[in-house]
Amino acid sequence: MTRNRSPGPVPRRRLYAVAALAPVLALGILLLPGRERLRAAGPANTGHAELACAQCHTPADGTVRQQVQANVRQLVGLRESGADFLHKPVGNADCVACHRNEDDRHPVYRFNEPRFQEAREAIAPQYCVSCHVEHSGKRVTAEPTLCVSCHADMEIREDPIEPTHAQLALLEEWASCLGCHDFHGNHVRTTPVSFDRVLSLIEVRSYLDGGPPIYGRELRYPARTERAKP
Amino acid sequence: MKSTGFILSALTLVVLAIYLFVNAPPALSENAVEAGATIPIEMVLETVAAENDIVRALYTGEIVSKGPAVELHFDEHWRDAAVQAGPLPALFLREAARSLHNSEVPLGLFLGSDFPISAANRFQGAQAEAFERIRRTQKPEFFYAAETGQYTAMFPDVASVAGCVTCHNEHAESPKVDWQLDDIMGATTWMYGKAAVSQQEYLRIISAVRQGFRDAYTAYLEEAATFEAPPEIGERWPAEGFFLPSADVFMTEFARRASAHTVDRLIAGVDAPEAVIVADAE
Repeated sequence: MTRNRSPGPVPRRRLYAVAALAPVLALGILLLPGRERLRAAGPANTGHAELACAQCHTPADGTVRQQVQANVRQLVGLRESGADFLHKPVGNADCVACHRNEDDRHPVYRFNEPRFQEAREAIAPQYCVSCHVEHSGKRVTAEPTLCVSCHADMEIREDPIEPTHAQLALLEEWASCLGCHDFHGNHVRTTPVSFDRVLSLIEVRSYLDGGPPIYGRELRYPARTERAKP
Repeated sequence: MKSTGFILSALTLVVLAIYLFVNAPPALSENAVEAGATIPIEMVLETVAAENDIVRALYTGEIVSKGPAVELHFDEHWRDAAVQAGPLPALFLREAARSLHNSEVPLGLFLGSDFPISAANRFQGAQAEAFERIRRTQKPEFFYAAETGQYTAMFPDVASVAGCVTCHNEHAESPKVDWQLDDIMGATTWMYGKAAVSQQEYLRIISAVRQGFRDAYTAYLEEAATFEAPPEIGERWPAEGFFLPSADVFMTEFARRASAHTVDRLIAGVDAPEAVIVADAE
């Protein structure tokens, strides 16, 4: 005698197995070579889409086991400092490895000087990533008014523009600075002295957000496509 | 069933403990204080500041001051393609500072003033207070910048040649136009993140600073090579005509002027007392 078995509920164990396997499979797919961008925290910033992740995310010292050991030892008080895990933190040196501007008007290291304490507290200009948060899909993530942090008491004796820089500061027109001034001075251009040539805030914002170049296309120091060897 | 679970858990813990604590691979090194770090950072910064004074005197006296007589010019916009000029002394220092920043030695170098040509270079806060004391005492100032964790030294920057005075007095943006020879026009600020260093680190710092000078001078030579009529680069100096010394010749002359003093200071460093942590005194 045969017994008809009805298709009852899926056994719980099988459900557990599928539930456990799915994330492992997903993780496996993400870890496949060529899938690095899927693991990124967000879209690459302007000009970074073709970069390999390893250009910025360099491997941490030691093996994974050494790194885990160091961090656990620190956790239980057997060691003073921990260790970077998998990758070193990305810092200024990683940016400068490609973006080396020998004539940078605002090199980040200058902001480590004591007199920039207020600016450091306000906008942390000593770090590249304070203005260029990576994986944001933009060129610049800072507000175009950041100049106020250092140039609030601006005085130019023979000011070539009208209204003068001092008057603009008094009017708190800080969003207008980037309409004339290229922050890092890396474009081959002359700073305009006539307001007819000032870029609008819309144009500036579009540029910061990753839009087309507004200061010209010719760069004094083009970025490398691969980081410089130390 | 219970005992199986217990055994499995215990085994897992044992394996985990072996993985985490048994030193099969060598332990990663810590960022601990280097052994033998007994030389106070003040002494180190005094040494590099003295070297900086010498290289600036050399560059200002033998290159910038003598240059105009043989059509070698110097300009704040020296890197602009349309400008056929070399860096002014303050910008020479900035070049050296950039090289230092790009080196493995985390030594900061800056130049500022209470009457700078660019308002953004005006001292503020702790630096302004220290600079007021420098003006009164004509001596360097040392302090610990707790916010950045940097041991900081400021050294008076004296108008040593007429060129410093005339250039600043005649500059359209200069907020002070009555500078005189031997005035303290500003200060160089040096910063380092440790209260004391070892002899080895002391040497590494000096080496990086000298490399900074070489890089700064080399940057000028590279610019000069692009002039429409470039000067001859080799053994001779502007005092002899339309010439520039090569980087090797420049650095050899620098070493001739600086090395004896620096060696004396290095020897003094061997007998230096244990470093006093300035932070504790703050």
